[in-house]
Amino acid sequence: MTRIEKYKKEIYRCIQCRSCYFAYSGEPDREGIGEHEGVLYEGIMDGCPAQHTFGWNAYANAGKMWIARGVIEGDLKLDEDGEEIRDLLMPCIVCGNCQIQCENKIPTVDIIEALRADLVDANVPLLDKHEFLGSKAVEMNNPYNEPHEKRTDWLPFDEFRNKNAEIGYYVGCTASYRQFKVSQSTASLMKKANVDFSVITDEVCCGSPLLRTGQIERANILVERNLKQFKQFKTVVFSCAGCYRTFKVDYPKLTGKPLPFEVKHTVEFFDELVSSGQLNPKQPFNKVATWHDPCHLGRHIVVDMEQEMLKKSENWLMDERKIKKAMSEWFAHPRNIIAKIPGIEFKEMYRVNENSYCCGAGGGVKAGYPDFAVDTSVERIKEAEATGADILLTTCSFCYYNLWDAVKKAESEIQVMDLFELLNQLV
Amino acid sequence: MTLRTLTSDVVVKFEKAVGIDFVTTNKVIRYSYLSKGIMGLDAILPDAVVRPKEVSEVQEVLQIADEHHIPVSPASGGLSGGFALPQTEPAGILLDLSRMDRVLEVDIDNRYVIVEPGVQTGKVWAYFRKNYPDWAPPVPDGAPPSATILGDAIERGFSLVTGAFGPQADLIMGLEVVLPNGDLFRTGSWALSEKGNGFKPFYRWGPGPNFDGLFLGSQGTMGVITKAAIRIIPHPHAKTIVAYGHSSFEAIQDATLNILKYEMGIADNLVMVQGGNWPLIMTRWPELKVPKDYDFYKKLNISEWWQNFEIWAHSDEELEFVKKRVAEEMEHYGDKTGNPPVEWKLHPKQIASRMKKPNLIAVPYALYRGGFLFITWYTPWNDSAEMSRYYSNKMVEYGFPPVIWVASIDHGRQAIVMPIVCFDSTDPTRVEQVRALDQVTSEYCYEHGWLNYRPNPRIHSPLMWDRAPTYFKYLKAMKQILDPKGILHPGRLGF
Repeated sequence: MTRIEKYKKEIYRCIQCRSCYFAYSGEPDREGIGEHEGVLYEGIMDGCPAQHTFGWNAYANAGKMWIARGVIEGDLKLDEDGEEIRDLLMPCIVCGNCQIQCENKIPTVDIIEALRADLVDANVPLLDKHEFLGSKAVEMNNPYNEPHEKRTDWLPFDEFRNKNAEIGYYVGCTASYRQFKVSQSTASLMKKANVDFSVITDEVCCGSPLLRTGQIERANILVERNLKQFKQFKTVVFSCAGCYRTFKVDYPKLTGKPLPFEVKHTVEFFDELVSSGQLNPKQPFNKVATWHDPCHLGRHIVVDMEQEMLKKSENWLMDERKIKKAMSEWFAHPRNIIAKIPGIEFKEMYRVNENSYCCGAGGGVKAGYPDFAVDTSVERIKEAEATGADILLTTCSFCYYNLWDAVKKAESEIQVMDLFELLNQLV
Repeated sequence: MTLRTLTSDVVVKFEKAVGIDFVTTNKVIRYSYLSKGIMGLDAILPDAVVRPKEVSEVQEVLQIADEHHIPVSPASGGLSGGFALPQTEPAGILLDLSRMDRVLEVDIDNRYVIVEPGVQTGKVWAYFRKNYPDWAPPVPDGAPPSATILGDAIERGFSLVTGAFGPQADLIMGLEVVLPNGDLFRTGSWALSEKGNGFKPFYRWGPGPNFDGLFLGSQGTMGVITKAAIRIIPHPHAKTIVAYGHSSFEAIQDATLNILKYEMGIADNLVMVQGGNWPLIMTRWPELKVPKDYDFYKKLNISEWWQNFEIWAHSDEELEFVKKRVAEEMEHYGDKTGNPPVEWKLHPKQIASRMKKPNLIAVPYALYRGGFLFITWYTPWNDSAEMSRYYSNKMVEYGFPPVIWVASIDHGRQAIVMPIVCFDSTDPTRVEQVRALDQVTSEYCYEHGWLNYRPNPRIHSPLMWDRAPTYFKYLKAMKQILDPKGILHPGRLGF
């Protein structure tokens, strides 16, 4: 039995309405920010990067749901058609825009990832890059093929290691090996706020790149390694959007148990500290800034929130409003922090919150389809430019990396910056 | 003429015509276009998908297909469920026109827009909001943003002003059509622009009898429409919705008819008049996650039968006047019958939600049981209650919730009555029951002279042509002239 069989009822709900092509599919009268470089940021816009780029319906969620249906019905066979399915499925960034737009509430991300896992189960070869990162994540505990002992090389202070602390900071592979500014700023801010915390030095890759590319069995090895390491913490804080999503959403599903600790992303954690005054950005920052919502931090979390609330609900008709409110509160976290920065002029991009346009890096796309990833990111950079911003803030290592690649490709003058790197400079 | 199976040498010709990147025989991509629901449960996998960008490419593709007897199923937005796909074998090509997505001209004096077939309603609405805020493009009401203006028009569907202006096809000013032999012509006054002199589509009725009726409703069987000139509508910004609860389908029909007859008066302000029964609300959520007792909906002030008027006016004063006159007429109906309609006070958010165009109102009916089919009929307005009641009873008899949507067309001259059959699409037994319901009810409907909106070639067409044999004979003769090898969407209309 394939993994997608579990989602048969949901897959069959797809009526090919193709609302999944768009952002704001239900908001035709949304006031926009005008036209910039031939793109009209008004009302309903394209929202699916893969469909927007490649055009064929197979790249959109609607097409994928019918491909999944074909597999269930035996019209498409994983052993015969597997490589063709893979080549259409893998350019999907699993950004989750389609799930937000779907009025029939199809769990599109879960289904696409399950179908990717079915391909792996059927011995359809992974893309070379995905094979590399999957095997290295298990062998080296990180997908970058770096020595595990170098994981904490970014650490400037011994006091970030406190065996008795109840709060742990899970750094993630990218901030451990590639983007020290993120890990250093996060740890520094915690210190400035007098948070009693410890960096989790024994952490291994969370498994996100493996789960996104269908490598469930390999991911399970990492899940087991991680959960053994840091049971002592009451709260684990993440600066990486992907790691946070993986722990919060995937780990309970994979293990069948709730996590033994609370998880928080730094946007939530530092929003509380800034709101309570424990962190107080005093230095003025006299620039125009905009904000990019990372998919793993935004859409994926609110979609999970919605699924959990709907699962418990006996009356969706009445409970839908509560869900919308909870979603809105979640997206407010980074914006609350930005609002506390003196001197900053904040301008939103057009596609924001659950309708945010993906940066293009997720779902194994940055590794597997680097040109498509950067081209998608260029579109996001153009949208940021349309606001007149000098600075594009975000807080996801993958978004940060890919957005910078796009800045170079588009020869843009906009600066990409991690929100907490900025906050750390101002506190 | 015998239709033939697509061969690799013909595929190469298509690739030369539109570019290698826009033709595929990839089985998985072809499968991704399948659909079995909404309008039609039956679809056959196309042998190739071809995506032209230019009219000249369409001409070339059709000539190649015609030469080699390859079936062609054209689709602009492809939202007609299974009916947008091939209906017979050999399946031939799905001609996906979505790359032809340009808004070519907006004329606010002659009041039309010229669009290519792939112009999606979501995009064109944003374009007009930005560039022509006092004019509305004729987008369908109740179709999602990927629906196309042209698809709605040529299927004679619903526009946002159908209550006052008639079906979308009535808004057509001119069509540009390509025939299988590659010939291209335009209809209406636009026909005179054939020699490239840029004459406008200012008058629908062209030189001699107009051809456009052969293509509107043809479901792609007569030619491929590559451009349409279609009326744009004044878009005043004094707008609202007023809603009323009623005691039966008959009360909806009768209480509104007098109001709808006020043409050259308040009826012209009532751009949409629609209603239904309370299950229309219930079935937008999963069966196991929504109350199924009417008592719950009653507490939300939802009447068992209800209808609403969407009012557009040029000023707040005019809007208030129309609302007042509607209220007076409703009161008058109540006095006369002893059965007063009850105004349903809508929350401003409910009003805003209802006025959205395009909207996703029709989409979530798959939540209730996992699939749905619209079986849509045109009736005289004053037969709409009888049909609604009949269908409700039949749906219950076949084990489906009785979900009925009804709307006025052209000041209540006609009605569109749309039973929404919510069924478990994973269960083949239930799918067969949907077909059985469709068969039984269609026999009844045709006996009453009612007309199906998108006739199912297997169920509706035989019943329909059986009652109009001479019409059918000449229609087939027209088809023979336009498409002698029968390559265009074979089987779709039952021939």
